[in-house]
Amino acid sequence: MSAPDQILVDDQTLKFCPGETILDATRRAGCSLPTLCHDPRLEPVGACRSCLVEVKGQRRLMPACKTPASPGMQIETRNERVLRHQRVLLSLYLSDHVGDPSECEDGAPCELHALAKDLGNLPVLVPLQRKHKPRADRNPFIEFRSERCIACARCVRYCDEVEGVNAITLTGRGLHTTISTASGISLYDSTCELCGGCVDVCPTGAMAEKMPLSAGAAPERELEKVRTTCNYCGVGCQMDLNVDRAAAAGRGQVVKVTSPPAGTAPSDGNLCVKGRFAYDFIDHPDRLSTPLLRGADGNLHPASWEAALERTAAGLQEVAKKHGADALAFVSSARCTMEENYLVQKLSRAVFGTNNVHQCAAT
Amino acid sequence: MYTRSDSPAMTHDKKTRAHVPELLQQLGQPSAAGVDAVARHTGVPAADVFGVESFYSLLDQRDLKTRVCTGLSCRLAGAEDLLKACDKARLETAPTSCIAACDRPPAMLRERRVVCEVTTGDVLESQGSFEKLYSAAGSDWRGSIWPATADEGESLLNLAAAPNWSAAGYAKALEIGPEAVIQALEEAGLQGRGGAGFPAHIKWSAVRGEAEPVKYIVLNGDEAEPGTFKDREIMLRRPDLVLDGLAIAAHAVGAGEVWLYLRGEFEIPREIMERAVAAAEEEERYGDLAFHFHSGHGAYICGEETALLESLEGRRGMPRHKPPFPTAQGLWGKPTLIHNVETIALVPTILLRGAEFFRQAGKTQPGTKLYCLSGHVARPGVYEMPLGVSLDELVEAAGGYIGELKAFSPGGASSGFLPASERARPLDFQALAEVDSMLGSAGVVVLNEGVNMAWAAAEQLEFFERESCGQCAPCRIGTAYQRASLERFREDGDAQALEHVDNIAWEMIEGSICGLGQTASLPLTSALRHFPEDFVANSSGGAPQ
Repeated sequence: MSAPDQILVDDQTLKFCPGETILDATRRAGCSLPTLCHDPRLEPVGACRSCLVEVKGQRRLMPACKTPASPGMQIETRNERVLRHQRVLLSLYLSDHVGDPSECEDGAPCELHALAKDLGNLPVLVPLQRKHKPRADRNPFIEFRSERCIACARCVRYCDEVEGVNAITLTGRGLHTTISTASGISLYDSTCELCGGCVDVCPTGAMAEKMPLSAGAAPERELEKVRTTCNYCGVGCQMDLNVDRAAAAGRGQVVKVTSPPAGTAPSDGNLCVKGRFAYDFIDHPDRLSTPLLRGADGNLHPASWEAALERTAAGLQEVAKKHGADALAFVSSARCTMEENYLVQKLSRAVFGTNNVHQCAAT
Repeated sequence: MYTRSDSPAMTHDKKTRAHVPELLQQLGQPSAAGVDAVARHTGVPAADVFGVESFYSLLDQRDLKTRVCTGLSCRLAGAEDLLKACDKARLETAPTSCIAACDRPPAMLRERRVVCEVTTGDVLESQGSFEKLYSAAGSDWRGSIWPATADEGESLLNLAAAPNWSAAGYAKALEIGPEAVIQALEEAGLQGRGGAGFPAHIKWSAVRGEAEPVKYIVLNGDEAEPGTFKDREIMLRRPDLVLDGLAIAAHAVGAGEVWLYLRGEFEIPREIMERAVAAAEEEERYGDLAFHFHSGHGAYICGEETALLESLEGRRGMPRHKPPFPTAQGLWGKPTLIHNVETIALVPTILLRGAEFFRQAGKTQPGTKLYCLSGHVARPGVYEMPLGVSLDELVEAAGGYIGELKAFSPGGASSGFLPASERARPLDFQALAEVDSMLGSAGVVVLNEGVNMAWAAAEQLEFFERESCGQCAPCRIGTAYQRASLERFREDGDAQALEHVDNIAWEMIEGSICGLGQTASLPLTSALRHFPEDFVANSSGGAPQ
């Protein structure tokens, strides 16, 4: 009699919690099962077939992502049948995909090629050599490269289940199944909010970023990821700046922003259009990187922080003295932290004595 | 056409989505404005509406071409010559999957109207006008049946008899009660006639046993397995049996609503069924039982029960994972009893004539079976014969073979091919499974010695590739890969082209979500197994003489 919360996976006893699938239980135990259409944020669909396992008593192989663990279940994930299935399945995928891994992984790493490499010994099939028409879309951020799409529908389901936007859909049938907006319109004209979640969840780089910096960058796996907090608003989403250390004559450059994996940060790997795509200000020539003071000649000149703060304080004090504190108003930025915003209202109310203070994220 | 003011979007419930395909159909040819209008009207996102439109071949026709059926039986009857004749007559055409007219080939389709037994002469005379072709052929779509005259003795469905609107079967069900109805099905040994041969009473008991008070009955009239046209004939000739059977099922499992899902090309059967329903509702024959119709829109996969449910809910017809089975979570998540038309039509007779009579009517398994016979036989048509007759017995009733029997497909394209040496094997669920084939929907296609099996297999592979829903990779890519392999062999005569066929067929069986992918390689693997002489390197593999 087996314990009510245990399953047997390849002779290893694992505990599971009520409601967990076979995949959940094995992942928590650190066993790796291949997946392509799975994302912990989405309802499992079992469509990519890569996580099929043998469950004792079941005639057919079962998708681990969709099959609930039940007490005493006996599961084999690496026997001959399962491995043969994985090999032929992946070889089929590759027969309809960009064959050369280095060509395929010019941007994001390709999960399909990674699985194929891990598994090895794949039958070599004749490529189907389907013709793909490049699809132009005038939006500046996201492009779809259909020759890399494996129709796992992660992007479609993310857009629906996480963002609630429903800008894209599976379209067509059979081998011609692919991703599209309604009637193939531009993402600009659709309900799309350009959050780029589709780019993030795509396992094969079919949904790709087309910002000039990232398009011209080295493959993602050669970039250094620096975890930081998005400063576009107060939500505090975690993001990974992808830095090319060799770029900009060795000074390094942020060439892309990616999300931390789902489940590893409070924002669960989600970002908005600003966090994901509006990073090119970092090295932009127009960006202010030093205070500027207007000189007697009427032009702005670089100055030290001490000089700039002194001039600002003097100006504010002069207005307050001449016209009263309520002649002043303080507006701070949503890109400041909460602590900074707190200090701004302190400055306004306690130092100058006016309630004319506002912050653009307050409404 | 639709304005915001009459939009139910604000109050839309899940059933509103079911209207998406129908609204797209009413708008005619696909357009972005049409998609937006349907989205506004139903509250379903425009992208989803477009996803639905692009899935169904009858909704996605961006031209008004005439379609020529390229199913195996129509090809054997000269569909290719017809395509050429259309070219000559400047009638713009495109091929289409089987349209359930295999007994009267070759058939043509425009939008949803079918014309049967078209000759190249008809086409040339039509001078490029489908309307002319259609009016010349008339709308009577009934084919030949056997027994050809009403026969109360042996025949259970008795297709030749006039409809009987007395609802005696339903009255009997009310009299004996739900438990006894289900028991009668069990004693009769009724197996589902849609293809799997699953014992019907198990499904009925399962749905009846569900605690959920809302339950549905769904009639699977999406008859699209190439070589099959029996449900068409039942609905054209005996709508009474179908309605009675549905009402009995609803009474037995405790369902208040019945959905009739008919393939889109079944406009005439639908009209007949609608008239029958209207008359029944008029006289309140089945109490307050509600009947609804839903047309398919050109997708073979929707004959698979869970794809049918998705389609009925107004989505892309992609099969669901089982379990949960529809008996527990079916239409809109409620317990649902889904049956093929023939299974349902047999129910009243079982109640009226008794389980024992039904059992005795079969030869190797209980009941009679409607065999759809087409291809190289003298009189193609629907034959009601004891379940388990052999091919020879069946063809004898049909006036004999045309030419020398070489191969046959016992249950539609999904059953693959069997050699002539199996001519005495009982055509039933068990005996055919023993030779890795199946009775399926009993669409029996007979091929004579003039047919090259590489050619015949190629037709079937093209069909499965075209009809794969695309959800899972083994089927989506596998069907295309098998087709491409055979094509390379037929072009170059290089047997190397077929080296991965068995491996991929194995994966399609193991890895595909539903039966389409699991059986899609069978035409090729069975042809390779039984007719290796047609796959010798450098054999021509041309069309039959």
